[in-house]
Amino acid sequence: MKIKSEYIASFLLFFPLLIIQITIVPLIAINGVVPDLLIILLVFYTLRLGQLEGTIIGFSYGLFYDLITGGLLGSSMLSKAITGFVVGYFFNENKKDIYLKSYVFPLVVLLGSTVDSFILSFFTTIELNTNMLGLFVQQGLLPGIYTAILSIIVIIFYPRRRLS
Amino acid sequence: MPRFLLTLWRNFKEYIVLILLVSVSFYTLSINQKPGVKKVKSVAFASFAVITSVVSDAINITKIKNENERLRRVNAELMLHVNELREYGIQNIQLKKLLGLKDTLHYPLIAAQIISKSFSNVQGTITLNVGSRNGVKPGMPVINDEGLIGLVYNTSDDFSIVRILRNFDLKLTVKDERSRIDGILKWNGKNLVIVNVPKTYDVEVGDRIITSDLSTIIPVPLPVGDVIGINKSSTGIFNEVTVKPFVDFIRVENVFVLGIVKSDEKNNLELNFFKREN
Repeated sequence: MKIKSEYIASFLLFFPLLIIQITIVPLIAINGVVPDLLIILLVFYTLRLGQLEGTIIGFSYGLFYDLITGGLLGSSMLSKAITGFVVGYFFNENKKDIYLKSYVFPLVVLLGSTVDSFILSFFTTIELNTNMLGLFVQQGLLPGIYTAILSIIVIIFYPRRRLS
Repeated sequence: MPRFLLTLWRNFKEYIVLILLVSVSFYTLSINQKPGVKKVKSVAFASFAVITSVVSDAINITKIKNENERLRRVNAELMLHVNELREYGIQNIQLKKLLGLKDTLHYPLIAAQIISKSFSNVQGTITLNVGSRNGVKPGMPVINDEGLIGLVYNTSDDFSIVRILRNFDLKLTVKDERSRIDGILKWNGKNLVIVNVPKTYDVEVGDRIITSDLSTIIPVPLPVGDVIGINKSSTGIFNEVTVKPFVDFIRVENVFVLGIVKSDEKNNLELNFFKREN
């Protein structure tokens, strides 16, 4: 029952964050680089629920994001499903609260956001003379770093585990 | 057999689900252009746009917004007039009058506000608070006082989605205003570039780029940006010209939809001509 309520919470939180992502977040862009709040939410719930759940949640987030923003339907579905899967490797039933309250969380967000941004740009920019390293840094790593910095907010506000 | 499948599922369920979802994603990517999918997307974004428009309104300051809208309308109309005069100055106004060409100075402008932006490095789209009820149709250019922002991609009754210039799917025919050379402008994920420009063509840094009258999508000249670099290939016969757009897509808030659509008559005429040739 607790896992079910977390599933519901992951979708209830998705829509307000999406509104913020498309109305307010573009105002804090730096040189065209924007953070991705949805990745922070995805990583949070993947670390809490597991790899399988994270993959499904990522796929769902991507589906709604593509539908609502009018982008290429399927692009975010693919990138976020893979991101949820990759981040799921860090899931540990015994260390959930530790990861979410330590430096591990922003590092995982950095990885997830980099993977998401890179996949999203990679398969739609198919040019044979593309500089892959430049593509990775410009379109993968920079958004990842910005998102990871913003994810520190989760560590600050995440409640400490109460010892019974 | 069922036991084997159960064991397989227990050990590899994450991979099985991932492969399934990736396959669904690729399939969905392949059916993007189907009318049914477009209809679903327009219903989805229209429903959500109602909520984002409320949030956008709260963020904007109304008084300044009204004054800005009035000033931007004046600026946008002046920008169109100035650009038209540039073209006529080059092409010789008297010669056009003698030939009886139409004066196309006046275009309907539909004022709109951006209620959401979706920026990634490959798909830049914005949502406007005007739709088919306001006379907006897919294919109409979107501008502000600085220049071209993009093209309307999809509409619902009260909202529209616009593909901005920073979108991999948007390709335009443009022209160098000084040398009159045409080319195809596209977004490569990092910059706006004009591709396949022969090395012998006269293009220089600082040249002003406008939309070409060869384009059936945007038949009127609209400012796009300035040339900021020419990538000269050591092999091959083409250069790649980098263009900096006039419009600041991060800060733009109030825009105008230009009430013109691509010329079907011109399209059909050219298509029929090529069919006869073949």
